[in-house]
Formats: sequence, C-alpha cells, structure tokens
Amino acid sequence: MISLRDVRLQLASAAGPVNILRGISLDIGAGETAALVGPSGAGKSSLLMVIGGLERATKGEVAVAGTDLVRLDEDGLARFRRDNVGIVFQGFHLIPTMTALENVALSLEFADAERPFERAEEALRQVGLSHRIDHYPAQLSGGEQQRVAVARAFVGRPRLLLADEPTGNLDGGTGRAIMDLLFSLVAGTGATLLLVTHDEALARRCSRVIHIADGAIANDTAMAA
Amino acid sequence: MRRALTAVFGNWSLAIRLARRELRGGLGGFGIFIGCLALGVAAIAAIGSFSRAVEEGLRADARTILGGDIELRLTHRAASDDQKDFLAGLGRLTEVLEMRTMARPAQRNGGAPALVQLKAVDDVYPLYGGLEFKPAMSTQDAFQERNGVFGVAVEELALRRLGVKLGDRVQVGDGVFQVRTVIAREPDRGFSVFAIGPRLMMSQEAMARTGLLQPGALLSYEYRLALQPGTNFRNTIATINRQFPSAGWRVRGLDEAGGGLRVWIDRLTLYLSLIGLAALLVGGVGIGNAVDSFLIGRRRTIASLKSQGAPAGLVWRLYMAQIAVLALLGVCIGLVFGIALPFVADALIGDRLPVNARVDLYVQPLAMAALFGMMVALLFALWPLARARAVPAATLMRGLSATDDISPRLRDLLAMAGVGFVLAAVVVLTAPQRNVAVWFIVGALGAFVAFPALARLAMALARRVKHPPHPTLRLALANLHRPGAATVTVMLSLGLGLTVLVATALIENNLQRQVQQRLPQDAPAFFFVDIQPDQVMAFDAAVREAGGYGLERTPSLRGRISRIDGVPVAQVEIAPDARWAVDSDRGLTYAPTPPDGTRLVAGQWWPSDYRGAPLVSFDAALARGFGVGIGDTITVNILGREIEARIANLRTIDWTTLNLNFTFVFAPGVLEAAPQTWIATVKARPEEEEKVYRAITDRFANVTVIRVKDALDTIAGLLGNVGLAARVVGAVSIATGLMVLAGAMAASQRRRVHDTVVMKVLGATRRRILEAFIYEFAALGLVTAIAAILIGSLAAWLVITEVMNLQWSFPFSVAVLTAFGAVTLTLALGLAGTLGALRQRPLSLLRNE
Repeated sequence: MISLRDVRLQLASAAGPVNILRGISLDIGAGETAALVGPSGAGKSSLLMVIGGLERATKGEVAVAGTDLVRLDEDGLARFRRDNVGIVFQGFHLIPTMTALENVALSLEFADAERPFERAEEALRQVGLSHRIDHYPAQLSGGEQQRVAVARAFVGRPRLLLADEPTGNLDGGTGRAIMDLLFSLVAGTGATLLLVTHDEALARRCSRVIHIADGAIANDTAMAA
Repeated sequence: MRRALTAVFGNWSLAIRLARRELRGGLGGFGIFIGCLALGVAAIAAIGSFSRAVEEGLRADARTILGGDIELRLTHRAASDDQKDFLAGLGRLTEVLEMRTMARPAQRNGGAPALVQLKAVDDVYPLYGGLEFKPAMSTQDAFQERNGVFGVAVEELALRRLGVKLGDRVQVGDGVFQVRTVIAREPDRGFSVFAIGPRLMMSQEAMARTGLLQPGALLSYEYRLALQPGTNFRNTIATINRQFPSAGWRVRGLDEAGGGLRVWIDRLTLYLSLIGLAALLVGGVGIGNAVDSFLIGRRRTIASLKSQGAPAGLVWRLYMAQIAVLALLGVCIGLVFGIALPFVADALIGDRLPVNARVDLYVQPLAMAALFGMMVALLFALWPLARARAVPAATLMRGLSATDDISPRLRDLLAMAGVGFVLAAVVVLTAPQRNVAVWFIVGALGAFVAFPALARLAMALARRVKHPPHPTLRLALANLHRPGAATVTVMLSLGLGLTVLVATALIENNLQRQVQQRLPQDAPAFFFVDIQPDQVMAFDAAVREAGGYGLERTPSLRGRISRIDGVPVAQVEIAPDARWAVDSDRGLTYAPTPPDGTRLVAGQWWPSDYRGAPLVSFDAALARGFGVGIGDTITVNILGREIEARIANLRTIDWTTLNLNFTFVFAPGVLEAAPQTWIATVKARPEEEEKVYRAITDRFANVTVIRVKDALDTIAGLLGNVGLAARVVGAVSIATGLMVLAGAMAASQRRRVHDTVVMKVLGATRRRILEAFIYEFAALGLVTAIAAILIGSLAAWLVITEVMNLQWSFPFSVAVLTAFGAVTLTLALGLAGTLGALRQRPLSLLRNE
C-alpha cells in the first residue's frame, strides 16, 4: 500500500533550510495498521503529510496505493486523495459553515459520487451521530466533531486512513471511544491505517509501531497479534 | 469641584494613562479605520475649501464682476435724463447696452451669420478692472471710427463662427464694422449659465449705426456707478429707490455681484458635500468594523482589567480615548488632503472658472469637515465600545468567542441616537437648502435600514437553499449566511457607495435625456427674437418659403413684477422656488383666446372680445409661490408704466416643451399700444435648418436667431460638467466602500485559508475551490448591486419626479453597468485576497493546529 524509498523533506525556515525527513524507506502492506511514534518535532506528521500527498518530498520515491505521487501535480494529488485516502486530524478541521452532513458529503461530491447525502447520513449513523446531521461544527462537542471527521474520512471507503493524533484534543474517555470507533471501522473496511500518536498504549493496538527520531526511522517493531 | 467633575465625566486621566500604554503596541489593524475617515474628511474639506475659494474670489473681485459698486438694469428702454443726471451726481457713471443679436461677415465669401452677445460701451467703461485686447490696444483705438467705419472687438470664438479674421468687416444690424482686435479679458463678463453666443463689443456711437435700437427690442440698459471711497452702497441704493420708487429697474449692490454664480456655487457645494458626507457614512461602516474587531481582540485584556477591579466606565473611557486619538489622526490626514486638493483643482481647472478662485487655508470649511469626521467616528464607534464595556470578567475563566453576543444597554442606544441626531442637525442647519439636507438625512437613514434588511433577506434565502446541487455552490451560499458572515457589512458599505453612484448617474442621465433626447422630436429648431411688427408678414412668408413649418408667433414684451396683491415685492414673503420670477424681467404677451396647449387649473378665460379692466392669466406654480389666487392682483412695470391686473385664471406651464410660454398672458386692450416686438418658434427638418437660418438672417438683419440645438448643447455641456463633479465625489464613496470591503475580506482571510486547505485535503482541485469563491463573491456583488440599483433608483426617481417635476425614465444600461461593476469589483478584490489562500501549503496550517 505504501512504498517509500529514501524520502527526504527539506523545508525553508527563517534560520535557513531545515531537514525534516532524512532518507526514510518504508513499506506498509494493505490492511496493515501502523503507528508512527516519536518525540515532538521528529517528523511524524510530516511523513504522514508526504504519504497523503499534502506535502511533496524533496527527494526520493513515494508510491501509495500503486500511484507514484512524485509525478502528480497539485490537482492530481487532490484527486488521488479523493479516491484513496481518508485523513483524521487532531484539530478536526471541519468546515465551520457547513452542517455535519454537508461536511461528510463533501469529498463524495468532489468525486461526483452518486447519492452523496444518503451515504453521508449512513456514515454519520455509523459513528452514532444520526441525530446531529444538521448541526454546525460550532454546535457540536469536541468528541462529536471528531466523530464527524471520522465519518468524513471513511465515507468514501478509502484504501488508506491517515490519522494525526486524532485524540490529542479530546479527554481520555472520549479519546478512547473515538479510537475504538476508528479501529472498528478500519477492521470493517479492510483499510490500511497509519496513525501518528504520542500514546504508547494506543500505538500498541496497531500491528506495527514505527519509531521516528530526528527525521529517520529509529525502530520498526511488529506487534504481537 | 474635582470630585464633581469626576462624577460627571469619570476619571479620564487614568483612562488616558492606560490608553497610552496600550497604544505603545502600535496602530496595526487600524489602516482601514484611518483610511475611511481620511477619505471622507478629505472630500468634504476639499469641496468646502474650494467653494469658499470661489466665493472669496467673487467677494474680492465683486466691483470688477459687477462693473461698479451699484448696477441698475432696465429692459427695452434707457433711463431718463433726470435719472441719469441724478445717478451721475452720486459717483462716476457708465452706461452699457447689451443685447443678443446676429453678426454676419460683410463679404459674401465669408462664413455664416452667428449669434453674438452685443455690448455697447461708453468712454468711461470699465469703471473697475481692465479691458484687455489681443493684440493690445487702447479702447479708443479698438472702437473709434476710421475711414467712416467703427471698430469692434470680439471674442476668439466669434472669429471662428463668423469665419473672419482681424481687419475683416462684419455686419451687425444695418451697420458694417471692422474687427480690430480680440477680447482677451472682459472684467465684467460675469457668469451666465445660458450664454450661447460670443461677445462682440463696440462703442455706443457705433451702436447707433446698427439700427437695432428699436422700440420693444430686447435690449438691456445697464448703469454702473463707482461711488466715492467710504460711501456705503446700501445707503446709496436706498437713496436711489427713494428718489425713483417706480423706475422699474433692477438694482444690485456689491453683495449681489455674481448673483447667479453664487446661487449655483451654493447649490453645487451642497450637493457635492452631501455626496462627500455619504462617503463618510460609508466609511463609518468600516470604522465600526475596525473598532469592533479591535475590541473583540481585546476582550481578554478587558476581562483581565475588570477582574482586577476596573469599573466598566473606565474600560469604556480607556478605549474611547484610543479611538479618539486614532480618529483625530484620520481627520488630520483627511484635512491635509482637503487643504492640498483645492490647489491641485485650481491648477487644473482654474482658468475655466468665471472667477479667480482665491485658494487658501480657510478654517471654517476645514472645521466643518473635521467636525463631521469626528462625529461619524464617534457614532460608529459607540456600539462596539458599548459591547466592550459589557464584557464580563468571567471571560477569563470560561472564554468568550468573538461571535458571542453582548447586547449594549438602553443608554448606549440613546447615546447613539443622540449623536446621530446632532450630526443630522448640523448637516441640516448648515445647508443653504435645508429641505435638500433633510431629504438626504431621510435617504441615508433609509439606506442604513434598507441595506442590512436586504442583506438579512439574502442571507435567509441562502439558508433556505437545502443541499445545492454543487458543493462549491453550497460553500459559497454557506459563506453568505454563516454566523459572523460579512454579508451585511459588505452590502452596506459597497451598497451605499454604489447607491450614491447609481442615484447620481440616473439623475444626470435623466437630465441629459430631457435635454438631448426627449425634446428634439417635438421641439422647434429655432427661436426668432426681435421681429419688428412691420416685418411680421414678410417673416412668415420667408419661413414658409424656406421650408420651415409649425410657425408660432406672438407679441412679446418684458416687465418686472413690482407688487403682489398691492404689496411691494420686497415686502412679500415669496417661496424660494418662486423667487426667480421677481429677480429679473418676465416675458409678457396678450391673447384674446387661450394659446394652444393651455391647461387652465383655476378660473375662466376671458371672452375673445373682452375690453374691460386689465385681466391676466398667470402661472399656477408661481401663484402658489406668491400666495395669490383668482381675483388677486399683480402689478407689472412695463417700460416704466405700472399696470395692475387682476388674475382671471391660472395655467400650468410645462417649460420643458420649449414652446412659447409666458408667465403672464394679458387680456386684450392693455398692451397693444405699447412698443413691442414679436417672437416666433419654427420647426424645420434637419436638412432644411440651414436654409431657414439663411433665409431669415439674410433678409432680416435685426432678427436674432437662436438655434435650439446650440442652446441645448450648452445646457448639456453644463450638465455634463456638473455630472462629472458628482461622479468624482461619488467615486470617493466607492473607494471608501472598497476599503471597507477589503477590511471585511482581510478579516475573513484566515477562515478562507482554512476552508481552502481542508477542501484540498478532501480532494478538491484548485479550480473547484476557485469556483466556490467566485460564486460567493459574484453572489455578494450581484445582490449588493440589485439592492443599490433599487435604492439608488428610488432616490433618483424621487429627485426627478418630485423635486424637479420632470419625466422619469429608467436607463437599463446604467443598471447593467452598475451590476457589472459591482460584481467585477467584489470578484477582483475577493479573488485578490483568495489567491493567497489557494497558494497556502496545507502542512503549515494542519500541523500548527
């Protein structure tokens, strides 16, 4: 599902160029669940962004779901995400001017999919929010907003789910509920999950834990099933 | 004492100390605030200063413009020798004759006959100022008789129209004259809105050769007096009036020099100032927005101050002090431009003005502009300030988002109403035409109610659209109605500016249409003036022979209204819109039967064989303005004779038809014996106009021909200039509106960047995202344009139909252009801000959260 070869990412900063990723090579198979762990600033989120086509690698090969991302332009990457990737963020990133239903339906509409609103409603029902479909993000609690974000990530049945510290802004109980939901949906759809987290316990729920330190893979451990 | 003052005004010293600390942070975010205020103040200050400069010019040159300290004007006849002797005893006296007449090249191969403004002067002329010629020569050299031919001086334009050059001969009336020089400066040329011919000047001896001094000819005799230094001209006027109470002349003193021009300037200044004030009010919206977002950003500070014991009043004063400093800065910047712009205007158009504008630093117009600026800033800052005062200390603990509503109290609303009322009162009380200012206030209030109402209606409609077929369209619609959307702000600010522009454009367009399009279809092609009674038959035949048709001819005399229902005019209270009728001579005629198209609104027409006491048919509108009706009397001084006539009936007169209309139509038996001439209107097909013109000018040297087209062109040109001035000032309100719009766009920029990035994450291409913004801005621009067209058209319709009593037409092109302009502007400004959002890299936003 994911194949990275010597991926490097260099970003400009006020103090000069900064090497964020320093030659990462990584293979993750379809249906695997992998956790990216490591200290803050190690490059976990950046790696997730490169895999999701939200950031371009400065050097190296990035192939995801059989697509060579290096060859795609910005709109090509957008279409690639639309068809293959679901992303859940720590900050939810819902569009505040749209209802829960409209937020979830958005990627389906971009894909010109059929019955986008019916499918979005079904996705919201799956995450337990069928009674909140006409609410705006500001009218929902943090946990509810993240459930909407999860529904939005899954509604297009993506082959790859990227989650960037999805429970970082939630209290312990709500966070656990969200992760239970996420894992059950991943299991139900057979999607590949790549999860950035600081939570060791959460990481251990994945089949693989990859430690990132200073822009490189420090350790890659398969977890016992 | 101090305690008492503190109780009333609060503790300002602490507030100012705290404000100084806060202002250390700089003025970031107040660019729009200062810009809006500066632009509005600059417009009002510049208009006021320039108008004052022209008035000062009029005052400084009053003697030169009037041609003396006192001017007495008679129509048709000269003053008697007694009168002249008396006047000569009061100071230096000069006599000037003026009339419109035709001049023609003496040689057959020259150009065409042309209408000129003939002026015959004596040796004393001019009493004040210098008459300058190019090539330079003395008055004597220019006018004296050489080889049996008198000389004349003409304006440059006359050379071109007549197709002659210096040294050539021209014929005026029966006389032939040599063009000796060109008039470079005529000190008392004055200002006439409807001067449609160039000047031709000669001596009075030469005038006698023209044969134009016929009884009843439309001649004016002007007597100017230069008084001894130290003599009060008002006292002298009183002396003259005592000596000759029924002379029938119009007497003007220095204070009335440039009378018509002064009225024009007053009115134009008022209209332009009101448009400038509209710009300032548009800016008020930007001021309110800037203050509001600044204070929302300060809510934690306010809560913190309150938690440490600061009373609400101190918080209010603290921010009031800062806003006052910023407002003062904006006003000062505006004043600097307001002072500088008249100098620029004078350099650009100064030589096209009829007076030398004395551009200088005038305190009064600047003070007025500053006062308006500070009051508008205060008016629009009060609401956000009241909200800031109400921020609870608990905000520190539970947080308060920017959209949380804090409602001001009743006293804040009363304070706003009070400031608004004072502002309106100042506008009305300082306006030369208070009714216009009142209408402006009503219109402004209406717009401030109507635009937010229409904006909310548009938002409600956008909200009702469930699941639009396209996600980008949905995003666009959602952005129009979401909580905190800038729809109301944008519609109000851009909409007000557009409304001003639509209203001024529609009014100008309607006036131009009246002049250029509506009239020519049924209007005559020519006016003929000064047809002598013995020429009437030959004149009719010549017109018919040359292909003219629709000939209307009527006897014409002129007279001044001296008494209204027995009371001298000076003692009668006359409505302002009827004053014009007593300010100068009126045309009179007589008729046994009602002229064609007469519309009687009261009374009866006299029998055609009537031979009783003088009766008159009078203009109904003037009767209303004079406060008279059927049975009342009007006394008219005709050629020095006072004729008192009873009003037999009232007529409505449509002056815009350009048919022969008279304020007074007398019953037969009164005026037949008075010296008189005939005037006529003639229609002609365009291809035959030249033939008719030549036929009359060739055969009747004394008959003056006025081409209606020329007169209309003059008026159209004047309207064009006024319209241009209005558009320039109107553009200021658009510029202010755009600033407010830019501010609103900047405030929503962060949200747009976020939405753009999220849509990219969800797989939207850049085109799709751009589409969403295009829909949003186009919808906003279109809704604003529609509202502006509706409200602007309503205002223009009221002005055209109710104020000016003219026919209304709605030029569709103006509406379409406005809509197109509004959509283009909002799109351009909106997209300029959004393209940055589109280029934003997702990583920075997604990671920083």
